[in-house]
Amino acid sequence: MEVSFREEIDALRLGAGQTFHGEGILAITKALLQSGVAYVGGYQGAPVSHLLDVMVQARDYLDELGVHVEACSNEASAAAMLGASLHYPVRGAVTWKSIVGTNVAADALSNLASPGVTGGVLIVVGEDYGEGASVIQERTHAYALKSGMCLLDPRPELGQMVDLVERGFQLSEASNMPVIMELRIRACHVRGSFETRDNIAPKFSTRHLIEDPASFDYMRLAHPPVTFIHEKLKIAERIPAARRFIIEHSLNELMAGNEHADLGLIVQGGLHNALIRSLQQFGLADAFGRSSLSMLVLNVTWPLVPEQLTEFCRGKSAVLLLEEGQPEYIEQELALALRRAGVSTPLHGKDMLPAGGEYTAEVISRGLLQFLDRHRPQAVDSSVRNWLESIVTRRQQVQAALDQPLPARPPGMCVGCPERPVFSALKLAQQTVGPVHVSGDIGCHALATFEPFSVGHSILGYGMSLASRAGVSPLMKRRVLSIMGDGGFWHNGLLTGVQSALFNGDDAVLLIMKNGYTSATGTQDIISTPGEAVRDRAQDKRQSLAHENRTIESTLEGLGVKWLRTVHTYEVAKVQATLTEAFTTPFQGLKVIVAEGECQLERQRRVRPWVAARLKRGERVERVKYGVDDDVCNGDHACIRLSGCPTLTLKDNPDPLKVDPVATVLEGCVGCGLCGENAHAATLCPSFYRAEVVRHPGMGERLRDRVQGAARRVLQGVFG
Amino acid sequence: MSAPISILLCALGGEGGGVLAGWLVSAARAAGLAAQATSIPGVAQRTGATTYYLEIYPEPLPAGAPKPVLGLNPLPGRLDLLVSSELLETARQVANGLPSSDRTTVLSNAARVLTTAEKMVMGDGRRDAGRLRDLVAANSHDHRLVDMTSLTTQAGTVMSAVMLGCIAGAGRLPLQREHFEAVLAGDSASSQASRRGFELGFNAVTASGNTEWRSVSRQGSSSESVRLPQATGEGGGSAPASEAAAAAAIVSPWAREQAARFPADVHTIAALGIQRMMDYQGAGYAALYIERLQSILSAERAAASHTHPVTVEAARWLALWMAFDDVIRVAALKSAASRLERVRREAGAGPQDLLKLYDHFKPGVPELAGLLPAPLARWLIERDRRRVARGVPPWALALRIGTHSALGFLALRLLASLRVVRPWGSRYQSEQAAITTWVEAVMQGSREHPELGLEIARCGRLIKGYGATNERGKRNLAHVLDHLTQRDSPALTRAAAIASVRDAALKDEAGRAFDQALREHGAPPRPVEAKPVLWLKNPRTGRA
Repeated sequence: MEVSFREEIDALRLGAGQTFHGEGILAITKALLQSGVAYVGGYQGAPVSHLLDVMVQARDYLDELGVHVEACSNEASAAAMLGASLHYPVRGAVTWKSIVGTNVAADALSNLASPGVTGGVLIVVGEDYGEGASVIQERTHAYALKSGMCLLDPRPELGQMVDLVERGFQLSEASNMPVIMELRIRACHVRGSFETRDNIAPKFSTRHLIEDPASFDYMRLAHPPVTFIHEKLKIAERIPAARRFIIEHSLNELMAGNEHADLGLIVQGGLHNALIRSLQQFGLADAFGRSSLSMLVLNVTWPLVPEQLTEFCRGKSAVLLLEEGQPEYIEQELALALRRAGVSTPLHGKDMLPAGGEYTAEVISRGLLQFLDRHRPQAVDSSVRNWLESIVTRRQQVQAALDQPLPARPPGMCVGCPERPVFSALKLAQQTVGPVHVSGDIGCHALATFEPFSVGHSILGYGMSLASRAGVSPLMKRRVLSIMGDGGFWHNGLLTGVQSALFNGDDAVLLIMKNGYTSATGTQDIISTPGEAVRDRAQDKRQSLAHENRTIESTLEGLGVKWLRTVHTYEVAKVQATLTEAFTTPFQGLKVIVAEGECQLERQRRVRPWVAARLKRGERVERVKYGVDDDVCNGDHACIRLSGCPTLTLKDNPDPLKVDPVATVLEGCVGCGLCGENAHAATLCPSFYRAEVVRHPGMGERLRDRVQGAARRVLQGVFG
Repeated sequence: MSAPISILLCALGGEGGGVLAGWLVSAARAAGLAAQATSIPGVAQRTGATTYYLEIYPEPLPAGAPKPVLGLNPLPGRLDLLVSSELLETARQVANGLPSSDRTTVLSNAARVLTTAEKMVMGDGRRDAGRLRDLVAANSHDHRLVDMTSLTTQAGTVMSAVMLGCIAGAGRLPLQREHFEAVLAGDSASSQASRRGFELGFNAVTASGNTEWRSVSRQGSSSESVRLPQATGEGGGSAPASEAAAAAAIVSPWAREQAARFPADVHTIAALGIQRMMDYQGAGYAALYIERLQSILSAERAAASHTHPVTVEAARWLALWMAFDDVIRVAALKSAASRLERVRREAGAGPQDLLKLYDHFKPGVPELAGLLPAPLARWLIERDRRRVARGVPPWALALRIGTHSALGFLALRLLASLRVVRPWGSRYQSEQAAITTWVEAVMQGSREHPELGLEIARCGRLIKGYGATNERGKRNLAHVLDHLTQRDSPALTRAAAIASVRDAALKDEAGRAFDQALREHGAPPRPVEAKPVLWLKNPRTGRA
């Protein structure tokens, strides 16, 4: 990747007494080093990508500390990496996006949690839940429960988050359990500050190697019969040890109320700020978080400490639990604890708050209103009620004023994205072959599920497109197309898809988007990324370098793929023909099309400084921009339905006779050439032109231009 | 007790919303205030809509004092400042209930970035910007609409810099101008560009000095400001001022003179039509246009009306249809004298830069056959049809012509000069026949009821474009004329049916809405078109 995290890396070096300013996820990254972590791994994905990105780029500094960093091929390999802490007293941390990443990692996590760890293990997961999330809405909590892993949900304040990382490792060591720290999207991206401490070089590290392997210990294997003992240990020793640690170190925060101290609020740490902002609207909390109601902030949401919960609830007039997501695991456990302890304090939770969805300050306020109405109506000012009602009224008024809902603006492929032409070609190919079932995948190409392409029948997981067609294609008259990115291919698709299709002799069509990076997660490098040497060597920095790395092709050939075609994505007609061939060829078996075209984001990061430097030196630079002759454009917008490029848009028709807006190309056009390719492949109206602007042209070129200009003027006169 | 100031930033991926949030936090820090920002970028880093949320505690706190607890998501109706880089996104936050008239200052881009859903519509799917502006006005304490897109281009920077300037100018935050400027310090080219953008944004907001509704968009500069299509508006009386102005610029005195033979409400549009015929083919063709328009006018007058909406409407569509697009026309437009300069401007070529201009053409058999006399054209088209029936794609010649080069330019000028032989071509003749059918239907409808005539005239809108699009439009029009104009129901019922079927025909390429509307009005759907069938052998079943 060509993004530079120089400033962030500098922040990692801060020492005792200095102040870190920055994002939550980077504060966590710094906290790992302050906790003496020996190895770090993970798989990228919003909202935690930056943790690994920064660590990877900071390799030089981490080498100084002796910390090993690994960009793992998927979450399963990251989780398996934690095996180092089974035997050895080394701290390790891994990170990924949850719930999906945790699903992939689940096998290794179970096998890690069963024997338990010696060195502290912290799994930093981005809880991709609520507004801005891009995955299925499920809770990581379930994994903590079933495998016996502690779950931290820190109050979103940088100092607290950093402290909890350190405590998390200690908790892991005290209980032998792996510890998961879940960070919501907004907590990962929160910008704040904290006082830093010195980083700690780990005792065993890449600089101080372990002399001898641990002696054989069957107890460290997740293998019968010790798995039965492990289960007993979890119940009898590990969970109690964790509970002791939680109490001894006050990981959960008890905040006594004043005026309404007899009313209790139990809240997941991550929701604390939203709750305080909500209480402020009721006049029940001040700007610094001092609340009139008593509060128990659960920075550790599993294991819960029944004694702590029952003690908090005992004697209270009523308690409201704020637990985001479903099912309501905490509420069930809390209710059970109170019942067992014979505490009859009224308990509210999902009866007053919605079962699913993000708990924003507004959602919390509505629940809080119900709670107070029931148990302390005199504490509710009418202004709060009016405020909440006015929101509903306002939304209704706006809805009435708009005759139809506002069009959505989902993310789309970038300007010049090399994957867009493939979907243009696919749309065209289906005009002759007929509609095909398209099995989709995770990656930038999943953006083709939005308009104007609306392509894809299913998305079953990262790298799963080929595997998820195995049941469909035998029952389908036409061949099924599976689309996969190179990221998905290496993450999972090679084994679950390709290997399985080959072994079963499936008549499948796989299209691999070979753009060279895992682009949707922030253009991280993978094994098929064009190497640095290749990038340096390239004379023309604008050209796609994806073809320079043939790891995917040679892997496929090695596995025994017989029908393999490589096409450049921008040759729309050729991609269309190749797709048609794959759909119609008599060849039985796996057919793979590698669609090559380097990620435009990465290319532009390389091209911009290169062009700027050439211009500065007065060297020849050619810039391509497409445009539309608006007197030729027919206002039908077929070109837009085949492209969806952000720079291909509409403007008023300058012709006073015509009424429909015409297509126009905005300044941001990078001259990728798709408009011209589509105009040919789809026989669009001839309104597109390609303009090549030459800065600092050579003498000969300039002369030729003069001659041609003169000829044009003559011709204009003759025929004019 | 002070409450934190609550700020919501809306931006599209790539506009620097994250950078802006960072700047605001730094500016607040420079002023000694506690601030916190967060965001939900997800995959919206591409071009999707996303938001950034900030809270700033308005009072400086002594060192070691407890820190305020700042929120991570906005409270509807408790927002102090909403800053947005796109008008529809501003309206989306209004629809979410976030800004309120008792509290929120809204600073929004006045320009639009159209969504794909709006762009991909066959006709005009753009949202009415006026309605969006009204929503913002009604749901904010005060607001400024600034054409941030133009200011960004003018400064050569990213939208975030202009937005920062707007925020500083609005004066709603407890920060001074120098606090904002401090975060843009630096000598790099990008810092300088940011400062230019900041300055423009600041001035745009402060220039008004009041909290009234105001748009500082330069008139006509916003490329995506919405103009309602006049042709579909009711009445169709006098042409609006902008149209008249445009007409004045391109219409010759002769054309104006000819148009003067029509009633006053038809003048502008008829002059444009006559001029178009002159440019397209010549004086004789203009005379044919006038003749056709005269006959529509007399039919309309027969129904004793004071205004002439049918003639006005027909004048537009008749002109566009008669100036049908063919290779000759396209070659003429592509090699027009003023074109190269326009392209230079659009491509941003400087005076010292060279421009190479390439045009994409792909004429097929129908385009070439259109230039030939009818018997020859029929033979050629029949050959192509047989070719397609064999499963071979129809013949077409993909060309990329270098219009800047002498040879390419010569080719275009030669093609354009074929104008003189156009009337002998088969396309010309078939178009004239179809035009006559439509004109007669308009006349007959007008005599029956002006409303019916008007709706038939408006059906001229179905004809547009090239190739398949054009063919489809003509078939649809013929279908409407055949099945909806001459039936036993009252004229007004038929007028309404034609209107609804016509709108449906413009909805989707496949014509599903069209067929549906036809059925609803008791007309048969379009006949099924013969299409070559592609047989795929399925070895699993052993059958084709």
